[in-house]
Amino acid sequence: MSLSPASGIGRFYKHSAKIIRFVRLGCTNRPFYHIVVMERRKNQHQPVIEQVGTYDPLPNEHNERLVALNTERIRYWLGKGAHMSTPAAELLGISGILPIHPRTYMTAWRNRQAANADQQRQENAEGVATQ
Amino acid sequence: MLRASCQLLSQPGVSAVKTGSTNFALEFVRWRRKPRWLPVAKSKKFRVPERKKQTEEERVELLRLHNIYKTQLRSVRQYLREETVRQQETSTIDHIVFTPEQEEAAFQRCLEENAAWNATIAAEREVRLKREREEKKAYVQERLEAALIREEERKEQANEKVRREKELAKTFISRENLDVAIETALANPVDYNFSIDLGGNIYRGRGTLPGGSEPPAEAQQQQKQAASN
Repeated sequence: MSLSPASGIGRFYKHSAKIIRFVRLGCTNRPFYHIVVMERRKNQHQPVIEQVGTYDPLPNEHNERLVALNTERIRYWLGKGAHMSTPAAELLGISGILPIHPRTYMTAWRNRQAANADQQRQENAEGVATQ
Repeated sequence: MLRASCQLLSQPGVSAVKTGSTNFALEFVRWRRKPRWLPVAKSKKFRVPERKKQTEEERVELLRLHNIYKTQLRSVRQYLREETVRQQETSTIDHIVFTPEQEEAAFQRCLEENAAWNATIAAEREVRLKREREEKKAYVQERLEAALIREEERKEQANEKVRREKELAKTFISRENLDVAIETALANPVDYNFSIDLGGNIYRGRGTLPGGSEPPAEAQQQQKQAASN
């Protein structure tokens, strides 16, 4: 059994901890994620309770990274007290369902710092070349 | 048992054992690791992993953001929980609230809608089938005509062949003119032999000499004898 249907065949206890998280599909060098609800203690490749979206992390030809979310069910499961993995929380934050996750801000400022450092280095190199 | 597993591990090509998931279809050979019971490698024994760098400023900022996030998320969760409860209370998904009459009416409504859809689709289908029938008819007609023309051509070719054969038959050698034909052949011996010199000149005849002169008398005699025999 390698693939389970998106409607979910995962069995779960009523009061067990559920989590909204990614399941890595795709293949080597080509990640593709299903956003699923499953029991927290289970391995990511075990049957899920429900699939609530997909996420394609590689930018397509228009430089877009595609995400599909079933917001109604996500709201339902969050209302039922489901946990979220950090990447899932980040994605939900960016998509506007939840507040922006701090990690998003962190990534942004680190990227900015790296870009600034890069620019600085380039300018220095140019200055040396002109002298 | 432990030792047996280790021996198995040392064998190449036992990927199921290597990944440690014998009963599972997914086998990640890329991320295989040594079994939990093996100790730290000697070369890695005194390696101290480097801590991720985080400035004090960043730490404080992240703490602040996380505090805000947690507070916001708590209230969102509260809202969603209430929403879920509200929906469960007002929803009629898992319990029946219709009377039989209402149910019947709903069913009739569905039936009518379905009938309407079927009618529109039937009309479309009628048009499409009619068009397809006509196309098919035209196609068959075309093919039939083409077949007729083909047949006619074939007949013509056959007739032509027969005519040609008949014409040729006039020159055939039959029992009646066999003797005459033999006489004619004997009277006109044909000599296909020829020789060729380095200049490319052709000398027709079996005994023709390079100068173009007639062959000697003996040779002619021999040739005649050969022909008569």
